[in-house]
Amino acid sequence: MRRALQRIRAYWNRSAMFRAGAVITGLVFFFILSGMICRSWPPTAMDATARLSGFSAAHLLGTDHLGRDTYSRMVSGAGTTLFIAVGTVLIGALGGSVLGALCGYFGGPADEIIMRIVDALFAFPSILLALVFVSLFGSGRYHVIVALGIAFIPSFARTVRGEVIRERERDYVLSAGLHGISPLRIIFFHILPNTGDVLLSAVLIGFNNAVLAEAGLSFLGIGVQPPDASLGRMLSESQQYLFSAPLTALMPGILLVLMILGFSLLGEGVRSAGN
Amino acid sequence: MRETKHTLPILSVEDLQIEFRDHSLPETAVHDFDLILHAGEIVGIVGESGAGKSLSALAIAGLLKRHSAAKAGRILFDDLDLLNCPREVLREYQGDEIAVIFQEPMSSLDPLMRIGPQVEESLRIHHPDIDRAERKRRALEALESVGLTDTERVYRAYPHELSGGMRQRVMIAAAMIAEPQILIADEPTTALDVTVQAQIIALLKEINRTKNTAILFISHDLSLVRQLCGRVVVMRDGRIVEEGETARVFADPQDPYTAQLIDAIPRVEKKESAGREQGETILSVTGLDAGYPGHPPRRIVHDVSFSLKKGEILGLAGESGSGKSTLAKAVLGLLPLMNGTIDGAGLRSAMVFQDPYGSLNPAKTIEWILTEALTGGRRRNFSREELHRRAAAALAQVELPESFLERRPAELSGGQRQRVAIAEALIGSPDLIIADEPVSALDVTVQAQIITLIEKIRRETGAAILLIAHDLRVIYRVCDRVLIMKQGRIVEEGDVERVYFDPQEEYTKELLRAAGIGSERDA
Repeated sequence: MRRALQRIRAYWNRSAMFRAGAVITGLVFFFILSGMICRSWPPTAMDATARLSGFSAAHLLGTDHLGRDTYSRMVSGAGTTLFIAVGTVLIGALGGSVLGALCGYFGGPADEIIMRIVDALFAFPSILLALVFVSLFGSGRYHVIVALGIAFIPSFARTVRGEVIRERERDYVLSAGLHGISPLRIIFFHILPNTGDVLLSAVLIGFNNAVLAEAGLSFLGIGVQPPDASLGRMLSESQQYLFSAPLTALMPGILLVLMILGFSLLGEGVRSAGN
Repeated sequence: MRETKHTLPILSVEDLQIEFRDHSLPETAVHDFDLILHAGEIVGIVGESGAGKSLSALAIAGLLKRHSAAKAGRILFDDLDLLNCPREVLREYQGDEIAVIFQEPMSSLDPLMRIGPQVEESLRIHHPDIDRAERKRRALEALESVGLTDTERVYRAYPHELSGGMRQRVMIAAAMIAEPQILIADEPTTALDVTVQAQIIALLKEINRTKNTAILFISHDLSLVRQLCGRVVVMRDGRIVEEGETARVFADPQDPYTAQLIDAIPRVEKKESAGREQGETILSVTGLDAGYPGHPPRRIVHDVSFSLKKGEILGLAGESGSGKSTLAKAVLGLLPLMNGTIDGAGLRSAMVFQDPYGSLNPAKTIEWILTEALTGGRRRNFSREELHRRAAAALAQVELPESFLERRPAELSGGQRQRVAIAEALIGSPDLIIADEPVSALDVTVQAQIITLIEKIRRETGAAILLIAHDLRVIYRVCDRVLIMKQGRIVEEGDVERVYFDPQEEYTKELLRAAGIGSERDA
C-alpha cells in the first residue's frame, strides 16, 4: 500500500500528463459521486411539465424529450458505463495476462498457434466482435461485459507476451530456475510483477477503449436497454433533438470526452514516467 | 617513466562547474575542476563511477547538452573559451582539433553505414576542399596507421563485420584522420578483452609519440593509467582529490582516497602458502563437451576435465568467447551434455551472476528474494518466523544489516546488491558456488570488499567456489588453482603460484603480459 502510494507520487512528480489526467479524472469522479449522493430526481422519473428544458433550478442540466433529469441520468449512466468498463478490463486484463504470459514464457508451437489466432481476432474491431456476441447471446449489461471482455483479451495478451519475453532473458529468472522454483511460479510471482508499469498503462488505455465501446454499443441500441441510462444511450436518444435542445446531447457528450481524456492522459503519463 | 614536457599548455580548464538541472538524475556533478594539458602529453583521469570524470571530459569536448546542465568556468583552447562560445564556433573545433573516442565501439559506429565514410566524416565536414580520391587515400592511411591490415576491405565493410578490437581501431582512425591536437579517450578499452586492450593502449602510445597528440585518458582502471599516462588526476564525487606525475602518485599517494584506490588493485606477488586444508573431491568433470542444442548444435566447450575439492576456490580465466560461461552453465545442468561426464552426485549448487542489477528481481523485497531462494517457492513448508530468521542470518553472513530485508534492489548500491546476490547463493547452504564474473561490474574499492567477502565465506562455510573472471589479478588474489581457457579448451591448469610465476603456455604468457603482471612479478 505504502509502495503503491510512492508509485503514484512518482508518476505525479515525473509526468505533467499524469497530473492533468489525475485532475480531470478526479473531477469526473467527484461529479458522479456527488450526483449519487445528492441528486433530487430518480434517473427514470419523468417530469411532464418540463420537456427538453434548459438549465433551471429544478433540473440543473436540463431535461430530455421525456422530461427526465439530464443530471440524474448522466450520473447514473456514467456509473453504468464505468461498471461495464471495469468488468471488461478485468476480463481482458486477466485473460490476456495469463494467456500472454504463458505464451511468452514457454514459446514453441503452441505459442505460435495461439498468437496467430490472437492476431486474427485483433484484426477485427472489438466492437464488431462484441456485436456478434451480443446478437448471439442477447444484450444487457452483463452480456456486454463478457462480450467486450473477450474482445479485449488479444491486445492484453500481446502486450504481456512481449514484456514476458523481454524479462525471461534476465538473470533473475535464470536464478529462480536454479533454486528449483516451478515455471508457473516464476511466471506469475517473479516475472509478472515486473511488467507492472506496462500493464498499468495498458489497463488505463484499455479502460478508455471499453468506455468508448460500451458507449458505441449502447448508441447502436444493443448495449444497455431502456429505461436504464448509459452515456451512449443518452447520446442516441437525444440525437434527433440536437438542434432544438442541444443541451441534452452536449452534456453527456462532454462527460464522455472528459472521462476518456482523463484516462488516456493517465495512461500516457504512466507509460512515459515508467521509462 | 616519462618527463613532463615543458611545452605550452594547449588546453586549460579553469574552475569548471557542472550541475544537472534535472533532479531525477543521480546527483552527478563536477565542482572546481582545473586541468592544464600540454602538447604531446598523456593525462589520465581516474575515479569510480559517479566521480564526474566522464562528465568533465564531455564538457571539454563540448558534448554536454546545453539545456541539461548548468555550467560555469572556462575551457580555454587557442585563446577561445569552448564552454561559452557560440555553438557554430565550437563545431569548428569538434572533430578537427578535439576528437573523442568512447567505450562502446559498437554503438559509436553507425551500423547502416560502411566504415569508409564514417572514418572520412570529419574530413568531409572540416575540410570540404579535399576531393573524394584524396579523402579515401587518407582514410586508408588512417586505417593502416591504427594497425588494421587489408584496409580496402575494412573501408568497404559494415561495423558488424568487424570484431570489437577492430571497431575500436576504426574509431581511433576516424578520430585521428583530421590530426587533432587533443584526443579524448573515454574508457576506450573497458569493453575489450585484455589482449586487445593491451594492443589499443600500445596504439594510443604510438599515436602520442608519432603525431604528438595530447591524450586525455579517462578510466576506472588504475593499472592501465599507470601503463599509459605521464600525469594522473584522481577524482571523487565530482572533485579532484589528487593530481601529479603518475609515478609519484602511485609511489607516494598524498590523498587517503588515492591510497585506497591503489590498495584496491589486487597484487600479484608471492603468497606464503598457508597450506590450506582441503577436503575430498566433490566435483569431477571429465572429457566434457558442451554447447547449445539446435540444428546444427553449436559445440563451444571441448574436452574439458577438471576437479574441485571441498573448500577450494578454482579460477577459470580466459577472454570473452572462450567458453567460460558455457562451461559454468553445463556444470549447473542448464545445458545438455554433449559428451563426457560430470560427477557431483547430490551436490547442492548455487550461482552468483556478473550483473547484480539483473540478477535480483527488481519488483521484490530483499527478504522475499532470499526466502524464495531458500524455499524454492514452496513457502508452506516453513514458518514465517523461520524464514525471517534465515534471511536475516544470510544477510549477516554478507555483512549487511537486518534492516535491508525490507528494501528493494533499486534502493541498494552495486556492491550491496552483489552482497545480496551472494547471500541468495549462500542461503541454501550450497556445496558448490559458481560465481560468473562476480566483481567485474563493480568499482575497484567495492571489488576489493567483495573479494574479501568471498574469501571469508570460503573460510566459514567450506563451500567450493568456481570463480570465473577475465581479470587475472582477481583470480590470483582469491584462487588456489586456475584453469586458463582459450577457444573452448583448457590450455593450462595449475596452482596460481605456478601458473603466474612459471607459465608454460604461450597464451598464458600473453594474457599475463597484457594484464601488466609480468613487470610486477619480476620486481
